Amino acid sequence: MKGFEVITAMKDYISEKDIIISSNGNISREVYHHLPQPQVYLRGSMGLPVAVGLGLALANPNNRVIVVTGDGNFLMGMGSSVTASFYKPKNLKILILDNKSYFTTGGQQTVSPALNYSKFIDSLNAEYKNSKEASKDQIKEDLSRFLNSNTFAMLHLIIEASKENLENIPWHPENITKEFTGKISKLS
Amino acid sequence: MIDSAAFISFLEKNFQFICGVPCTYFKKMLIFLAEHKSELQLQHILATREDEAMGIASGVVFSGKQAIVYMQNSGLGNVGDALTSLAQLYKLPMVLLISYRGLESDRSFPEHDIMGEVNEAVLKAFNVPYWILSESGWESEMNLALKEMKNSSSPVALLVKDGVLSE
Ligand SMILES: Cc1ncc(C[n+]2csc(CCOP(=O)(O)OP(=O)(O)O)c2C)c(N)n1
Ligand SMILES: [Mg+2]
Repeated sequence: MKGFEVITAMKDYISEKDIIISSNGNISREVYHHLPQPQVYLRGSMGLPVAVGLGLALANPNNRVIVVTGDGNFLMGMGSSVTASFYKPKNLKILILDNKSYFTTGGQQTVSPALNYSKFIDSLNAEYKNSKEASKDQIKEDLSRFLNSNTFAMLHLIIEASKENLENIPWHPENITKEFTGKISKLS
Repeated sequence: MIDSAAFISFLEKNFQFICGVPCTYFKKMLIFLAEHKSELQLQHILATREDEAMGIASGVVFSGKQAIVYMQNSGLGNVGDALTSLAQLYKLPMVLLISYRGLESDRSFPEHDIMGEVNEAVLKAFNVPYWILSESGWESEMNLALKEMKNSSSPVALLVKDGVLSE
């Protein structure tokens, strides 16, 4: 499966009350275009999506917080998944979309194949954990289990390295903050 | 030295979260935080890196809550992108409490010499307004920093010299 197909498949499970953080580059674009708005679309701060998601999860214990991160971003901030698992917020879900590449900058390879995600996630004792190749006939079940688990959850999906031609996110980051904080104030 | 109880009580009134990576200069304050964990209204989150701490704080601030991040000035070398492409770019107000290592009392710690020399220049280059925390005037310095943080909706810094928050 392609990354945007996984992201599009998430749509059925996302409600207005959910909070999504997307890592910079293509993933933020795809989340912006395919899932309900507004969310926290990171445009920079490579390596920090899990950290930002942890902050959001701790500050909004009654909302589900879903981090959608590329492998390059995940590896750059790998310590943050240890920090997140130290606190294990029940509402935090980390989805790693692994195309084994820095796709956004031209598809250069990452060191991702050296990591046994299954063992790594296992060692963090996430109550929900899964590591596999994304497949069309199982994606619905995988996403629904992952997103509806009432626990700290990590899902690692190997995806095809590809992208859609999508418009850039039209909002300036200051507007992303305005839109998003507006949503948060209505939630609480 | 600033009284830890008074300092933490000030933080408690202004922030819901405190997050960071330790420096010896914060030892007393961090002991106080650990010892009073259960009765404090201030959630202390441990971090593995200073940019991660700023990421966590950003998540808190995106939620309409307040966060303070503590770090050694070595950590200032780790946060350039978290500052410029996250906290400043997205207009996320937060306080950075940074130890000012590498001054006279640190002469036997050459690892701090160079950052100590450029510390203020680095903050200026990043356009981060800063105040140096003093034992006698810390409350007004903190209030000035908070005021600027709110006005600019951006990170501000407080520099902490040796002996100010820990002996
Ligand atoms: C600190 C930093 N280094 C490098 C970049 C350039 N950059 C932007 S996106 C990206 C690739 C991100 O890879 P990944 O998270 O795997 O997402 P993908 O592009 O594969 O979807 C890189 C290297 C950056 N934005 N910030
Ligand atoms: Mg990738």
